[in-house]
Amino acid sequence: MLENYLPVLIFMAVGLIVGFVLLTMGGFMLAPHKPDEAKNSPFECGFEAFEDSRMKFDVRYYLVAILFIIFDLEIAFLVPWAIVLEDIGLFGVLSMGIFLGVLVIGFIYEWKKGALEWE
Amino acid sequence: MTLEALNYATAWPEIFLLCMACVVLMVDVFIAEKNRNVSYLLAQLSLLGTFALVMVGQTDERVLSFNDMFVQDPMSDVLKQFILGITFAVFVYSRDYLKDRNIFKGEYYVLGLFAVSGMMLMVSANNLLMLYLGLELLSLCLYTMVAFHRDNGNASEAAMKYFVLGAIASGMLLYGMSILYGLSGSLVLSDIAHEVANAGDNKIGMVFALVFILVALAFKLGAVPFHMWVPDVYQGSPTAVTVFIGTAPKLAGFAMIMRLLVEGMGALQTDWQQMLIILAVLSMAIGNIIAISQSNIKRMLAYSTISHVGFILLGILAGTAAGYSSAMFYTISYAIMSLGGFGIIMLMARSGFEADQLDDFRGLNQRSPWFAFLMMILMLSMAGVPPTVGFWAKLAVLSAVVEIDMTWLAVVAVFFSIIGIFYYLRIIKLMYFDDAVDETPLSCGRDMQITLSTNGLLILGLGLYPAGLMSLCLSVFN
Amino acid sequence: MTFIDLNFYFFSALLLAAALGVIASKNPVHSALWLVLSFFSCAALWLLLEAEFLGIVLVLVYVGAVMVLFLFVVMMLDINIEEMRKGFVRYLPIGALVALILAAQMIWVVGPIGPDILDDESLKQAVRHGADYSNTKELGRVLYTEYVLPFEIASIILLVAIVAAISLTLRRRKNTKYQTPSKQIQVKRDDRLRIVKMDAEAKE
Repeated sequence: MLENYLPVLIFMAVGLIVGFVLLTMGGFMLAPHKPDEAKNSPFECGFEAFEDSRMKFDVRYYLVAILFIIFDLEIAFLVPWAIVLEDIGLFGVLSMGIFLGVLVIGFIYEWKKGALEWE
Repeated sequence: MTLEALNYATAWPEIFLLCMACVVLMVDVFIAEKNRNVSYLLAQLSLLGTFALVMVGQTDERVLSFNDMFVQDPMSDVLKQFILGITFAVFVYSRDYLKDRNIFKGEYYVLGLFAVSGMMLMVSANNLLMLYLGLELLSLCLYTMVAFHRDNGNASEAAMKYFVLGAIASGMLLYGMSILYGLSGSLVLSDIAHEVANAGDNKIGMVFALVFILVALAFKLGAVPFHMWVPDVYQGSPTAVTVFIGTAPKLAGFAMIMRLLVEGMGALQTDWQQMLIILAVLSMAIGNIIAISQSNIKRMLAYSTISHVGFILLGILAGTAAGYSSAMFYTISYAIMSLGGFGIIMLMARSGFEADQLDDFRGLNQRSPWFAFLMMILMLSMAGVPPTVGFWAKLAVLSAVVEIDMTWLAVVAVFFSIIGIFYYLRIIKLMYFDDAVDETPLSCGRDMQITLSTNGLLILGLGLYPAGLMSLCLSVFN
Repeated sequence: MTFIDLNFYFFSALLLAAALGVIASKNPVHSALWLVLSFFSCAALWLLLEAEFLGIVLVLVYVGAVMVLFLFVVMMLDINIEEMRKGFVRYLPIGALVALILAAQMIWVVGPIGPDILDDESLKQAVRHGADYSNTKELGRVLYTEYVLPFEIASIILLVAIVAAISLTLRRRKNTKYQTPSKQIQVKRDDRLRIVKMDAEAKE
């Protein structure tokens, strides 16, 4: 089975090599590299930097992301199911039906709670 | 594969409960804020319905279903009944408490019901996968419930600690389970038991897996030295959640130990016995000694839980039918005692006042002689004083330990229990011999009065007539 | 050493290095990126075990979704590194001791020094499958039939996760101004407009 993935491995190897070679050639070997304090400091229109460039995210992003993950996982469960649907027959349809049914309940809940709305 | 082959009828209580939890969730989002009581009543009805289904489906045999994933045996039936009954009382106690703090939400009940189904699945698990999923279902609900009071910093901190340590414990459990699966080639407990018994050279690998599994179990039960989360979580979470964490999950934890250690790895008994001895002695020592210096009663009861967990482990490590049934008796009676204890704390709490300091119990007798009396029974029972069920529980465990010629262990246990009596008696002293600082009369609904009184009297009743519960626990393991 | 073994050692070395990077890097965002690399190498290891579906799901779900969430969290927290490193030196000896003991025991049990548990005949070598073997199919055949109960419980756990996430993070904001078209079109003139009759004021 693993031979099917040989192209992927080769692709990764080529990607790694190309990435490394270009970065080292361009970034470190060919380009002039003379850092000093002023060059390395963050530039904010001539001011000293006011604050950390990382700022706080609204917690709503987090909620959306976590809801996305849950349904992402649900989709992941659908893939093997779709492949073997012929073998597992009606029973498989039923078990996936219950699985999806439970998540539809979750979906109705988040819809009604307004978790999908961006006020 | 057909539906009939699943033999799903044995799981009707779980199926019903899960469906009802979804119904409560759906009803709750569609009703208006002022009708929130409907969710509460529906949740209670679901518990009662599930209880009835468990009663109807009781069996004397061991019935496997869902391709050996799920097992129904007398132990699972008894434990499920107690889990459901205790959760019913938890919901009754917590209603006013939640209302006073503006966290009377349907989610509390939905998560509670899902947690109960997680516990029931753990109790009936016959497969490592099911044990883990049941445990995760339970833990996820508990983490959320601890953080339920969102504006309370202590609750958030408790939830964070609980979550991180719980996740580490789950990781340990999975690691142990994966080693066990790798060595035995099966997830089904009875197959694992067979492989463990015929392990030969692989035994050291199995013991290696056992260590990780045992660490995870100790984490989840809160046995020393894996107890760090217990005091913080008990103190930080809203009392309505503490009472839930401190009662029903102990029964599920007991079932988990029985399934994993006794059913799955019974052949390694000499190995886990040594480990459990260390855990039990440390738990009884640390729990009882540190509880003395607490001024917060929730924290004190947390340390008392740790010491009681030590006793439960003592019964299990005996490794005999008498030992297992005494541990089960102890777990059930401890769950009922702790239910009552936290019930009284919630009874005294009111909006903006938690009643979680020992000083809040001063002069309780002047304010309400009846509830002071109930609290006295509960404290005496936790201390293990004769006319209460706590005495019989300790006696059963100790005699099981003596029977396997570990008298020194019994002596150690008695020694630390005597130390423990001090802090239970201190509460009784505060209630009866000190003057009340706070004269506000205690008020609560009729349903709570009745349930709490039944709870307290049950301790006394079981103490006077322990034979019924004792023979029930014995019959489970014969 | 076969080519597959070579791959295994490469990816597990990468995994260890990346995991070390997660805990050693000062910037939490860098830690998260190291974690991405460790997930990738884990996925490669799973592929080597012929668990192709799980390997790809690991990349899709963990790298694609969970790590995005992680980065959100890391950016949301205003982490003060100095504060976090405070207790480091104090707890280092005991932490290192526990880690050492654990590692020594593991090496003793699994490694070449102690009892040789992996040499046992009962632990058969995994069978390598041909090119037409699909692990995803094998997984599907049992997941929805034999393992139907754990499968449904997984959906319940996902439902609990939805309920938990929403009940812990969703806050109704006051003072947000947003439109409700259905209300807007139902507005009648009388809701907005009031005609006031006034007597004309006399001119002085």
